[in-house]
Amino acid sequence: MSTSTSNVHAHKAEIFCRDESRVDWHSKALWALREKRDRAAGSIPEWEQLRQIGSEMKLHTLTHLAEYLEEFEQNCIKNDIKVHWAKDGAEHNRIVHEILAKHQVKKIVKSKSMLTEECHMNPYLEERGIEVIDTDLGERIIQLAKMPPSHIVVPAIHMKKEEVGDLFHQKLGTDAGASDPLYLTRAARRHLREQFLSADAAMTGVNMAIADKGAVVVCTNEGNADMGANLPKLQLHSMGIDKVVPDLDSAAVLLRTLARNATGQPITTYSSFYRGPQDGGEMHVIIVDNGRTDMLKDKILAESLKCIRCGGCLNTCPVYRRSGGYSYNYTIPGPIGIAVGAQHDDTNSIAWACTLCGSCSYVCPTKVPLDKIIHHHRRLKAEAGKLPYGKSSYMPLVGKFMASETALNCSMAMARTALKILPGSLLKPFSGAWGKYRELPVAPNSSFEAWFKKNRG
Amino acid sequence: MSSKLEIFNALKSVAITPQPMPCFNIAPRIDDLVGQFEASLTTVAGTLHRDGGLTNLQATVDEHIAQGMQVISMVDGIKGNREVTATAHELRDIDYAVIPGDVGVAENGAIWVNNKNLGHRVTPFICENLLLVIEAKSIVANMHQAANLITLASGEFGTYIAGPSKTADIEQALVVGAHGACSLNVYLT
Ligand code: SF4
Repeated sequence: MSTSTSNVHAHKAEIFCRDESRVDWHSKALWALREKRDRAAGSIPEWEQLRQIGSEMKLHTLTHLAEYLEEFEQNCIKNDIKVHWAKDGAEHNRIVHEILAKHQVKKIVKSKSMLTEECHMNPYLEERGIEVIDTDLGERIIQLAKMPPSHIVVPAIHMKKEEVGDLFHQKLGTDAGASDPLYLTRAARRHLREQFLSADAAMTGVNMAIADKGAVVVCTNEGNADMGANLPKLQLHSMGIDKVVPDLDSAAVLLRTLARNATGQPITTYSSFYRGPQDGGEMHVIIVDNGRTDMLKDKILAESLKCIRCGGCLNTCPVYRRSGGYSYNYTIPGPIGIAVGAQHDDTNSIAWACTLCGSCSYVCPTKVPLDKIIHHHRRLKAEAGKLPYGKSSYMPLVGKFMASETALNCSMAMARTALKILPGSLLKPFSGAWGKYRELPVAPNSSFEAWFKKNRG
Repeated sequence: MSSKLEIFNALKSVAITPQPMPCFNIAPRIDDLVGQFEASLTTVAGTLHRDGGLTNLQATVDEHIAQGMQVISMVDGIKGNREVTATAHELRDIDYAVIPGDVGVAENGAIWVNNKNLGHRVTPFICENLLLVIEAKSIVANMHQAANLITLASGEFGTYIAGPSKTADIEQALVVGAHGACSLNVYLT
């Protein structure tokens, strides 16, 4: 990734913000999800208890990962499931390709998996002559548009129906100008049915891996994972080491919160448990590290592995909603994207794409302390001498300035007077990036210090 | 060193102190389970037929057959016009599939289905419309209770189905009928 300043979060967000009506529309669409989430959470009296149990259960598993992964593998083998281990994305892709090459697979249908995105698997397989079809409707849309996902649950949230209509007209031959979601979805259904029926293999992500059963759980609303995995004889499932849970009871806790927190549904339409291949079929599970054990070595970062990828923190985040998924320099955007992606961000700006309002931590179903993690990332960047462009030059000065009482009082008095007597247009340029999308404050009559002396001192 | 070994070695330096597994005991809401189930099923776009049981269902199936539809039944006592095919792919033209559910969950309208009763695993997904049958006494309050009742033996596949397939990927407009069944009707016995 280039370190040029045009890749920093603020610049990318600025590109997204050029079309103000689209930004409002984007923000509203996501806020609607947040509201649905609140209603669903509110309808369960034990909601807060579920969050607490979810958090403790994930912490328990994360601190006993070796035992649970070992147990999971042993049970998978008993169920005739083949297990592979990959320390990084490159190894994951190599393993997948080996399996597919052995079975002479020409076409694979894939069901949404952020992990395969993280590993950049599609281009790897395509370069080796294997056609990869993303089958979740949102994923298929962005695949046809040659874009990455902009959200982890609704990957094409940034596109308007007219744009999808144009795309489908070009790629799937739908009527020109047609933009009705029902019509377009039906066209996609027909197109993807052909893909499911002609695929040689299927691949899915994993929502939970159940240690004591040796089974993987895959949740979708569309049924694409199941149409995929249950037609061809070869099925593959990629999972991060953090996906393992002890037993069915633990999975039940997360199944109760996942969809409610994602879209406000009481549960996803299909929550499927695979405990072995179909008759005459083959089932593979690839367990991937790719930086997760590194994160576990840091007490604070480790907690980001409690995440169950519901997307709730994205929907509530005021920065994500108004800057779009592409401004984060990482496959996973939003608060959780900063938590797991900031260390890969060469521009060192992503950790600042956050107001530390804490709304994300508040909605998270497993209590990932996102604001704390993001704050920690800033500290790590500062300690490594990697403050983003702009901040490193003036922050030390601000520190010195704030430490001097006379300098502060004197300049604050000047600022109050200036705000009162000078026109905003003259002052605005001095507020820099801060003032770009903000009105200047109304100046109080006196300083807080003077007020305090008079009233409380 | 194998990658598994490398991962396990790295796991020796997890920074968080080991946490115990939480015990939990969530009081189930047991009033009017069928009513709760029906309300939940409606929110996920399914329909419950409380009365008439299998007789009602057979009458519906007969109507569909009379209209030239392809109906496969995996429920004892319900007769369709199609048998289990040699390959899963041959089910591509099935209009209606009748399938027995094992456990219903009142809090979310989900029904647990096990592949022992499916013919092919893909049956409830590849059919255009799904008809599920569930006994009133198999409806439980929540997912914790369901977890104790569902069966998933070695080598099996099972799934909770909550409504027809759906998507909202195009401008957040809810469309029922994505890749799986376009409608779900549940018959209570
Ligand atoms: S961090 Fe929490 S809210 Fe965000 S996606 Fe993960 S589980 Fe959901």
